[in-house]
Amino acid sequence: MDQRDNWHLTDIIEHETGRGDPFAAAVRATRMPMIITDPRQDDNPIIFCNEAFQKLTGYDREEIIGTNCRFLQGPDTDREKVAEVRRAVEAGTDVAVDLLNYRKDGSTFWNALYVSPVRNKEGEIEFFFASQLDVSDRVEAQEAIARQKAEVEREVEARTVDLKAALDDKTLLLHEVDHRVKNNLTMIGSLLRLQARGISDPSILARLDAMLERIDALASVHRRLYQSDDVTRFDAGGFAVNLANDVVASSGRNEIAVESDVVPLDIASTNASALGLVLNEIVTNAVKHGFADGRAGTLTVTAQRDANRGTISVADDGPGFDPAVTSSDGLGSVLIRRLSRQIGADVTWAAAEPGTRVTIDFAMEQGAEVLAQAEGKS
Amino acid sequence: MIRLTHPFRVLIVEDEALLAMDIEALVEDAGHKVVGEAASVQELEALPLSAQPDLAFVDLQLAMGTNGLDAARLIHERWARAAVIFVTANPKKIPEDFAGAHGVIPKPFSRAGLTSALRYIEEGLTTPPPTSPLPASFIASPAFAASWEE
Repeated sequence: MDQRDNWHLTDIIEHETGRGDPFAAAVRATRMPMIITDPRQDDNPIIFCNEAFQKLTGYDREEIIGTNCRFLQGPDTDREKVAEVRRAVEAGTDVAVDLLNYRKDGSTFWNALYVSPVRNKEGEIEFFFASQLDVSDRVEAQEAIARQKAEVEREVEARTVDLKAALDDKTLLLHEVDHRVKNNLTMIGSLLRLQARGISDPSILARLDAMLERIDALASVHRRLYQSDDVTRFDAGGFAVNLANDVVASSGRNEIAVESDVVPLDIASTNASALGLVLNEIVTNAVKHGFADGRAGTLTVTAQRDANRGTISVADDGPGFDPAVTSSDGLGSVLIRRLSRQIGADVTWAAAEPGTRVTIDFAMEQGAEVLAQAEGKS
Repeated sequence: MIRLTHPFRVLIVEDEALLAMDIEALVEDAGHKVVGEAASVQELEALPLSAQPDLAFVDLQLAMGTNGLDAARLIHERWARAAVIFVTANPKKIPEDFAGAHGVIPKPFSRAGLTSALRYIEEGLTTPPPTSPLPASFIASPAFAASWEE
């Protein structure tokens, strides 16, 4: 009797557990559902099934033996997975897939199917051995997780859309505010220029011009703040160069060259306007007094950082230190004194040989600035 | 290209009366003649053809919901040889081709800024290329710069 018929034999022969073929007995008694099919017969029918398989599927042995496994499939069984099994059987390889299968009563279960070929000594496939495992719990848990994940993703997407809309609104508002600030600064400038037209007194005109320069300095601060990526920080070093160039250009004094050697000095933007006005007074002073009477020369702007202190200096190569310029008269001096105190900066005048160097020195420590602001507000 | 001669006939298209007055005064200080003012595209249409401006300063945001890009188009239609300069707080809204304009003066501007821009434009239109350096207060369009090559 060849090996093929042994299966029939064990299936037919009634025997107690522990007697007869021990391997066959094990397969019959295991709690894992198992079947064996015969690919040499037409349509690869099931020739053996154990009791666990009958329990799992709800079919009687007579209904199972002699049929192809596809009777377990139903309307919602994944056709691609079935095709995967078919391809493996045709190729004579093993395959493991999760299939939705149907019991006799129509209820469904997730079947972790494993099929492998059984070969004889010559390597020919004699049988296919298939084991099933009801993994409905696992698959359903996975599906629940997938559903939850999809739900979370939908929510994240919805919130992202909301946030994007809020950001767009904020950006639009920022553009609008920027536009209005610029328009107002332009109008203030126009008002002062129009007012200046009827005035012939040179000392009043000079004061109006000084006011226009201060407004231009504030406009420069605004421009630089608005163009930066972080509106909470302000690069005082870069600004000093911008301002010097703007002031010299506005004065129409082409004979004054501006040279610079600066490093970025990030300060809190709340201090930007005050520092901008202080710098403006220093630079306009230098242009008026260091380069008086149309004298040509070079205005040098430097910015350095030393540990926690930032230093900006503005030097002209003019006639030199003039105590009259630095006297405490006039709004310019008052602005320098009060505004530098407001931002915790020290302003000193020194002879530059030739010319005058004005140095602004201030703390760079971010923590100290934040603390100072918090104290100022309380 | 057509070379202009000093003084220019200047058109001011600006909906803010203060700014229009200010620009007018600065233009006249520079020795040019203001031949018309308009606060909107409608007012621009109402100007007589005989205004014949050489140069127009155009704000981007105009009255009656109209805008400077349409105004620039209309100016070029009505007076083909007029050079348009936008004056705006929003230079980023100007298209890459500057809508046929010669350049932009960003707001806010200073007296010296507008005056030096005007001097540069003058030189570009009368005796190109300009001998003054390009002022920080003026952005020349590529077409304006290209016109000096001819």
